[in-house]
Order: sequence, then structure tokens, then C-alpha cells
Amino acid sequence: MNTTLSPVLPADSVRPLARRRVLFGGWAAALAAAAAGARAEPPEIAADVDPSSLLNRLVARTSFGFTDIERQRVAQLGYEGYLEYQLNHTAINDSALEATLSGLMTLSMNPTTLFPLQPSMISNELTDATIRRAAFSNRQLYQRMVEFWTDHFNIDINVGECRYVKTVDDRTVVRAHALGSFRTLLDASAHSPAMLHYLDNDTSTVTRPNENYARELLELHTMGTDGGYTQADVEQVARCFTGWGMQSRAAGLNAGLFRYNPNAHNTTQKVIFDNTPQRRVIPARSAAAGIQDGLDVLDALLTHPSTARFIAKKLTRWFIGEDAPQSLINSVAATFSATNGDIKAMIRTALAPNALASATPKLKRPFHIFMSGLRSLPTLVSSTSTLRSLLDAAGHRPFYWGPPDGYPDTTVYWSGFLVSRWNFGASLMFVSNGGNPGISGVMVDVSTFLDGLDTVDEMMTRIAEALYGGEMPTAERARIAQYLSVSSGSQTRQRDAIGLTIGSPSFQWY
Amino acid sequence: MTHACPEYLALSRRGFLRVAGSTAALAAAASAPAWLPRVALAKDYRSGQRDVLVSVFLRGASDGLSMCVPWGESAYYAARPTLAVPRADSTDPNRAIDLDGFFGFPQALAPLIPAYQDGNLLVVHATGSTDPSRSHFDAQRYMEVGKANDATLGTGWLGRHLQTTSPMLPGSTLRGVGIATGLQKTLVGGPQTLPIPNLDTFGLTGSAGSRSDRLAAIGNLYDLVPDPLNATAQNTIDTMALLDQIDFVNYLPQSGAVYPTNSTGIAFRSAAALVRAQVGVEAIAIDVSGWDTHAAQGSTTGFLNGLMNSLALSLAAFHRDLFSTTTPSVSVVVGSEFGRQLVENGTQGTDHGHGNCMFVMGHQIDGGRVLRDWPGLATNQLFEGRDLEVTIDYRDILAEIVQTRLGNANLPAIFPGYTPTFRGVTL
Repeated sequence: MNTTLSPVLPADSVRPLARRRVLFGGWAAALAAAAAGARAEPPEIAADVDPSSLLNRLVARTSFGFTDIERQRVAQLGYEGYLEYQLNHTAINDSALEATLSGLMTLSMNPTTLFPLQPSMISNELTDATIRRAAFSNRQLYQRMVEFWTDHFNIDINVGECRYVKTVDDRTVVRAHALGSFRTLLDASAHSPAMLHYLDNDTSTVTRPNENYARELLELHTMGTDGGYTQADVEQVARCFTGWGMQSRAAGLNAGLFRYNPNAHNTTQKVIFDNTPQRRVIPARSAAAGIQDGLDVLDALLTHPSTARFIAKKLTRWFIGEDAPQSLINSVAATFSATNGDIKAMIRTALAPNALASATPKLKRPFHIFMSGLRSLPTLVSSTSTLRSLLDAAGHRPFYWGPPDGYPDTTVYWSGFLVSRWNFGASLMFVSNGGNPGISGVMVDVSTFLDGLDTVDEMMTRIAEALYGGEMPTAERARIAQYLSVSSGSQTRQRDAIGLTIGSPSFQWY
Repeated sequence: MTHACPEYLALSRRGFLRVAGSTAALAAAASAPAWLPRVALAKDYRSGQRDVLVSVFLRGASDGLSMCVPWGESAYYAARPTLAVPRADSTDPNRAIDLDGFFGFPQALAPLIPAYQDGNLLVVHATGSTDPSRSHFDAQRYMEVGKANDATLGTGWLGRHLQTTSPMLPGSTLRGVGIATGLQKTLVGGPQTLPIPNLDTFGLTGSAGSRSDRLAAIGNLYDLVPDPLNATAQNTIDTMALLDQIDFVNYLPQSGAVYPTNSTGIAFRSAAALVRAQVGVEAIAIDVSGWDTHAAQGSTTGFLNGLMNSLALSLAAFHRDLFSTTTPSVSVVVGSEFGRQLVENGTQGTDHGHGNCMFVMGHQIDGGRVLRDWPGLATNQLFEGRDLEVTIDYRDILAEIVQTRLGNANLPAIFPGYTPTFRGVTL
């Protein structure tokens, strides 16, 4: 257990004014301040956060949405206990989910068996699994980190051979190391045929190296755009990685696997980060030994302070928000450096109770909104085909982002197209006169959800518990209640009310 | 948005105005074309005085040396042994189409020749941002913001234009549209500005019977919260009613124009319908992706050839559709974050470069020529010894259009810290 974690909740220091801020009513005020650009520095406290509210927020920030079971679990385990429970993801039983994935044959296949298949089948199965895992896995923090690294090491599944081998990258790079070591994760990504193909490194040669992978390795995967590297560094790194790529389809059993082609490698000496304290000479090597050049680069990147800062900033913002304080980012960067990039350790630092207590709300991205709805309601998913199309229409279908920077994680980008959020709620809850669901293959069991509840208030309490962990803003609750009360016994009206809740302003944030 | 269930897909879009309210400028008009059954021009509509601006961003750094080929430069042919477009004065069937004795279009851009010959299409070369970044993401952001390296500037240049000028149509519901799921940075900050990926399906799904009730409830819910969601929600609800009046599916282009059926063609077609509907939209942003051609880009055939051809067919259809009449008047600017390296790489592609070309098309654009202060392609003439130099700042082009065609002289607010040089882009 990381010793930087402070005691969760000193109970004797409640200051009512500050306490109100972290409850939902306070979130609105914080939002208003954030929107006005007024919030210059992080709030000062953690001591006066309402305990159950902070636990709620921990679940919200480490998952795709509340469930009754997760709420019970966090109440039992407390803040640190729950975080450790989720971090130790392999110990969490996920057999019920895994059983629903057993028919997705391509998830476990290797390139030689994937190449003969239809690419759309491979892509659809991977996306199907991604949706089901995000919505229904008990390993929620792990799934959110899979989402994070999928964006960080983005690969567009519609590009060339990535149509066949992105699923291998998902399994052996992102999912294998999502809560492991950044060093191992980066190493796996650099050896990923899908990545090397996506960023054109598999055709980079000694005579004219291709800079695409080298540049994004520095800019997006490790140091960040302001990390201090130069065009000369990009060119040197590109030379170091000449020969790294994917075995062609003609390579028999090795087709689609990583290959180092010594004949394509530049054997001269390279120097990176020249004239800086991180200067590194990569000596001239024989072509046969030349793969070490790239490994040297990866090592130099992992120990470069810009990498610690860049990964820390991105990870902290993922959990805390765009206005995460620099002091917290610095702490996470220090954890990166001290632990050689231990992802769990960084998460512990980023999610220290003080840090989360001070955090302002974060806008759910469309995928998150979709998963929240599926997860928090009794939903039976027999097919994700239409869901996938709806995610695409909302601009957030997994693996469909073209450029290598991954889907944005900013409010300004995602706050414009509200219709897609309203329509997800509306479609999810709609059932035609013929009994067909608004999203084919996805049925919400409202009878079970509201079973035994007679009054509008009871129903609203159930909705608030399921979707908000109990903390639904009063004014919004009143307006949904007003809508429901017109005909609260009508299941159509009940469905509409739940759909409206999913589209409501407060549900867009977490 | 597509759904599997036709029963709620139908969502009869007519008669939507009643429930969603607040488009007072709209009224029935007997003379409107069939695709535009109910929209009439407001009396105080100012079309003809100001252009509608269509801003097209080629994401990924387009290869300006393939899009407007310097066929008069021997250095171009030395640097691109496999990718060069043959000289216009050669007999090669893939030779460049001569524009002015020095530059030419590749055959893929042949559809643009009529607009060029009509004087509506201007090519600007050796242009772009003078910032040296070769990061797509920084360079796109800088160009869309209208200034490099300024973290305090969160809005886009076109958004600030809308901020600093009165609406073209007083009381306009919708002034800026990004044809995208997330608003382009270019438009961020614009009042009455929304990302709308599909103009013809911008409505509320679910039960038709309860739609008006639910829309009212959504309006009431978002009334409770601060911006950005409050304003965006109200704007969204008003825009649903506005767009419901335009039948995008049955939109009939003029002069037999035919748009490609791919996403680029659909975006331009939708933009044309919006412009011709004259509902007050004055800025439209369109993205075209796929220009990051590091490998096997092709030039006279292949991937880049197809991409250029798709763009050209869309622009040509837009020209045919809108330029047979003088109103509504438009300006279209087409640009990218930076160009690509002069020397081709080992994989028949090009790596990130610097200077690029831009296209400008408009009723009042002084086109039919290649505007440039050509720096040359000899090694000592290149930016950092490898890329086309930038001799015309992209803001010179944009600022002149903003001031003379969009009627907004607040250039210091739109391009802070930069004093543009007008280059005679507009008539």
C-alpha cells in the first residue's frame, strides 16, 4: 500500500460550506466556475468531504457506472480497500462476463488464422467484446485503463492489415499490460505489428527511413509534444527503428508477427537528445545486432523526465479532470520515476482521497454515457450491432479514431453534440408497439427495475440510486418526477423518464 | 444516425416546428423549391453583402506539391523519382494540367478546371503557418486557433469572427455549423454554433407520441445548469426545429451538379443546402481526413490520387451548384496543417513538411491564377534544408476574406498578435 495515501476521512472536521461543494449541488457551482474560467487553483480540502459522496465518486471515476453491487462493495471496503480491490483485477471473478464472450472466436486467434477471415468480423467481434467488458465486467478500473491505453496507443482498426491484427494488439499489448508496468507496455507496443504497420514503420528502410512511428513514439507515446525533442531526434529515432515491422502474409506461420529485418536496418551510430543532459549515443552495430538500437531508444525514453511528466499529466487528467492541479501531476510523475512506470502505483497517487475530493466533474464521453446506461440498468444485450452503429454516429466507436492521438478527453470537444446523448437514452428505453427495442439487441427490463414501486417518489429514488448512486441533483429529480407523474403507472412513461434521466445534464458528468 | 428499428426511425420530421418553437424568422413561402417547403427569406436578410464561409480542413498534412505541382522546377523531379507528376509540356498521359506555365494540377484535380477558368478558384502556394512544428496535433490546433503557441487562446479564429460580428440574419438560431461529431477548433467560441454530423437526422429519437413532451422536459432540465451545456442544449432544440424545415434528403442541386456519395461529397452537399436555404448559417466547417500519406501515397494513381479526386469532385459540384447565381455568395477556403517533405521517403510516401498550398473559391475571389512568392526548391531554398518554405502566412489569406467578404474588420481579435498583409485575394 502506498504510504502517500492519507487517512480517508477525518470525521471531526466537517465544514458545512465546503462540504456542500462536493455534493451534487456543489458540482453545479463548480461547473459554473469552471465554465467561466474562474477556477484558477484547486480547492483546499479533503477533510470535509461527505464520506458516502467520496466513495460514490471513487466508484464513478474508476468505473463506467454504478451498480448496486459496486455500491455495496465500496461501502464494505472503504476508499483504500475498494481501490486496492479494483487494482488487483486478476483476483476479481469475471466468469459470468467471460462466458458471454466465449462465442467470439477471433479474440484468441493469431494472425495466421485471422488473415483468411473477413476483416469486418474481426473488428465487430473485438468491438462487441469491448462493449460487453466495459458494461458488464466486474474489473471496472481495469476496463477504464484499457480504454485509456487504447487511446494512448491508438490504432485505427480500418487501416490496412490493422483490420486483422489490431485484435492481437488489444490482447497482447493493451489488455496484457493495462495495469502493469509502463515500461513493459511501451515495449509491447513498440513490438506490436499493428502499431508498426499503422504508423508505417514496417516499410521504413535504411536508405529512406519513414519518420511516422518515430515521431509519434516521441510525441504521443512518451515525451509529449513539448517534451524537448527535436526534428533531428525524430530522424535519429527513425533510423534506430529501421527494420522493425510486421512479417508479411507470405511468411507462413510467422505471418503477421513482429519481425526485425537486419537488411533494412541503418547500422551507423546515432545520437539522440544531443546537447541535453539526456544525450545518448547509440553505437554503430552490425545489422544482426541492430535491434538493440530501438531497445536503447525505448530505455532512453523511459528514463527521460519528459516521459514521466507527460504520462503523469495524461493519467492524472484521466481520473481527476482537465484542471488537475500541477502539484498532483508532479506527485504522479515522481511515482512514475520512483517505480519505473508502475501503473498501479501512479493510479494510487492520482486517486489519493484528497485529490479526488478536490476534483471537479468530468464530462462522460459518448462511449462512457452508453456504457453507464447499459451498466446501471437491468439490460440484456443479445447483439451489439446497432450499438456499434450508434457509437459510430456519436463519433466514439472504439478503434475508429483515425489519427494516432486517440479520441480526445476534453469537455470542449464532446459537449457540442448533445443530441447523440439524448438519443441514446431515448432509444435505449424505447419499445415499439410490437415489442421491438429502440436499439435492436438491447432490452432494458423496466418491470424488474421498478418492481413493487408504486409512487413517483419511490420510482425516482430507485432511478437515483441506480444511475447516480443516490446523489441525483434535487432540481433535476423534481423535473423528471414531474414528467413521470403525468402517468406514472404507464410503463411507456416510466421508460421515457429513465431515458430522459440518461440524457439529463447531471448524468453527462461523473 | 441509423437505427435498426424503422418504427421509430421514421420520426416524421414535418410539423416539428410547433413543438420546438422559436424560429420566428421562418414563414411559409409559396415559391420555395420542393426540398425547402417552408423557409422564406427574412426581410432583413443580408445575403449578398456578406459571404457564407465554408472552411475545409484537410486533416493529416496534405501534399501541396502533388496538389499544385511545380512542374517548372527540376528540383521537384530530382526529389521525387517515383511520385512526381509529369511535366505539363510532356506527352505523358498523367502529365500535369498547366495552370500558368509553371504550376499545374494533377489529373485528379481536373474537375476544378472550370472553376479555375471561370476565375472563381484561386490557388495560393508556399503558404501555411510559419511555426516550425511538424506535429499534426499542435499544428492543427495552432492553425485553427489562428495563432501558434498560445495556451491562453481557447477559441478558434472563425469562432471569434462570429463573436465579433452581428448575425447575418438577426436573431439567427444557427450561425456556425461544424459537420462533425465534435466541434472543430476553428469554430470553438462561436455563438449559435454546433457540431452536426448529419444535417438530415438532427432530431430526437424514441416514441413519436411523446417526443414533444420529452423535448420540453429536456429544455427544462438544461435550463437548470450553467453553460456550456445550458446554451448548447437550447441551441440544439432550436436547431432541430430549424433543420426540420429543410429536406436535405431531397435537396436538388442546381445546374445538374452531382456530389460524390462519400462523406466528403455528402458534407459539401449538405453545406450547399444550408447555404441555399439562407436560414442564417454563415460559417460551415468541413473536415476531410486521410492526408497523412507516409507510405504508398501515389500521385497520378493510388490513394492520394483518389483523395484529391474526391475533394475536387466535391468542390466542383459545389461550384456548379452555387456559382450559377450570384446570391447567396460564398467563400470556400481549403487548407491543411502543413505540407509534406520535398524528398519522397523510401516507401513511396512523404514525411511531414512545412509549406503547402491552399485553395480559395468564391464569387468575389480573384481566381484563375496561382498566387505565390515562390521560394524555390533548391536545397538552400528549403525550410530547414528539407521542406517548402512558407512565404505567405495563411492568415494573410483568411484575414482578407474575413474583412472584405465577411465584413468584419476586427482582425486583431480574430488573429491576435498578427498584422496581416492583404494579398489581393478578393475582388
